[in-house]
Amino acid sequence: MKIASLSAEQAPPISLPLRFFTMAPVFLALAALLLALAGGNPFAELRSPAQIAATHHITLGFMAMIMMGAIQQLLPVVIGSPMPAPRLVAWLTFLPLIAGALSLSAGFMLGRTELLNLSWPLLGLAFLVFIVASLTSLARASAKNATKTALLLAILSLAGAVTFGMLLAAGYANGLPLPFAKLATAHISLALGGWVLLLAIGVSYQVVPMFQLTPNYPKWMTAALAPAIFATLLLNLALLLPEAAPRWAGFIAEALFWSLACCFAVVTLRLQTQRRRHIPDAPLNFFRVSMFSLLLAAAFSLAALAFPMAVNHLRTLSALAFLLGFALSLIQGMLYKIVPFLVWFHLFRGGLKTGVPNMKNIIPEPWIWRHLWLHSSTLLAALLAPWWNAAAWLVMLGLLLQGALLGYGVITGIAVYRRTFRKIEQTQP
Amino acid sequence: MTTIAEFMTANHKTCDNEFADAETAALTDDWADAETAFNAFNDDMAHHFRMEEEVLFPALASAGGPSGPVQVMLMEHTQIRELLGQMAAAVKQKDAQEYSGLSETLLMVMQQHNHKEENILYPIMDQILAREREALLGRFQAV
Repeated sequence: MKIASLSAEQAPPISLPLRFFTMAPVFLALAALLLALAGGNPFAELRSPAQIAATHHITLGFMAMIMMGAIQQLLPVVIGSPMPAPRLVAWLTFLPLIAGALSLSAGFMLGRTELLNLSWPLLGLAFLVFIVASLTSLARASAKNATKTALLLAILSLAGAVTFGMLLAAGYANGLPLPFAKLATAHISLALGGWVLLLAIGVSYQVVPMFQLTPNYPKWMTAALAPAIFATLLLNLALLLPEAAPRWAGFIAEALFWSLACCFAVVTLRLQTQRRRHIPDAPLNFFRVSMFSLLLAAAFSLAALAFPMAVNHLRTLSALAFLLGFALSLIQGMLYKIVPFLVWFHLFRGGLKTGVPNMKNIIPEPWIWRHLWLHSSTLLAALLAPWWNAAAWLVMLGLLLQGALLGYGVITGIAVYRRTFRKIEQTQP
Repeated sequence: MTTIAEFMTANHKTCDNEFADAETAALTDDWADAETAFNAFNDDMAHHFRMEEEVLFPALASAGGPSGPVQVMLMEHTQIRELLGQMAAAVKQKDAQEYSGLSETLLMVMQQHNHKEENILYPIMDQILAREREALLGRFQAV
């Protein structure tokens, strides 16, 4: 039994996660600028170089940046086991992730192979350090719960997604004869369907009942859902192996995956209607937008299976609903809880009892509501963007403003921390 | 037979429900209800802490159990008491905004605290204090 996991000092210093959270909004804004620079309507063609560059700014620079920063913070809470060597792990993920994401997108935008060849080892290093550190933390955790299983499967998916991603970048840069379309499918399904979805599921098992005061997720679900999703992902990957798998098999494997994803969204939304806490809460609404978007992403993907003539548009819509709707809503909603709590927690631990601002005085609530409306409008525009060029511009503007708003929120939190900390130092010489 | 973990976890849930009732009342400016609900919540939290600090923690210590985790829990009890004190003042001043910020903060602290107790500390207690469990549960009413 691990008793050390109740140690008081298991929380890493506040500067570690905040560094990740401050950098992420910059990448969101940069993604918007890349899309604007691309010319034309980048949402009409998802695999154009500009779109690939912008997408990786969002998935690596924004999503992975926040997810990796947050996981270092969340592991002690949800599985009772901190990351080893937190400072070293933070630096060795943070710096190569920034450099890798920038060189990858620049490589695609400018068509420069040397930049691509710089990017994949950097990104490989960032993720390798993160994966080894989080697997160590999982191995040391005494808790045996569904969250731990889901996190483990998420991290294994990440390892696969990164491997395929590195192969794709190296292959593209060096003209290697690789099956690019299949590798890209494997990369995307493990990154989004595995890493992002399984991580969201594992964290939700804990966070939804704990902080939204809902009933627990049903036992059948926590026991089976994450392993079932992982199994359908493996099935989807296995179908890529033969030269041409039967169409019906691919159809069933993909339909199974999306049905399981819907199961998570529906159960979460149902639990949230049964919550004991009946107060207006912007982060909770981010969470619900996220779940509705996941349902929408599933609906578009299932429709793509049913209506092959509209497959390109439907798949684009599914990808937009998944990334901008499901993932971005969830991540931003969580961040608006994590940042104020971290600031409060570290100030309170700093010894000041009175004069520590409460969580709602750290990032002003009206700004979080404004961000929610801006985010929802961006999402609506994104669903029109493949057809309507003006909507594509609205999405870019929306992402730019969201990056600015979130950055403002995080920096406001840091400013409150610094101001109050100085006060503590003055009162306790 | 009820384990320590089951009994104390159920007690956490009761407190959670009272927390939510008080918060809803305060945020709708229903201060008569808010005061009643907050007092019920505050009293049950105080009783919960006494069950731990006067019965369970000393029993664990005399059975040679680990002292580190108990120290952390005691420190978090202090944080929670501090927030409860500030919330009581907000109820007195009928300050919904202040109450809402404090209850948001308390929820985050309290839930992480409960989670650690339910998943780590109570199971340790059930293991180390298996023989005296019934006697310990019997003493809860008296504190």
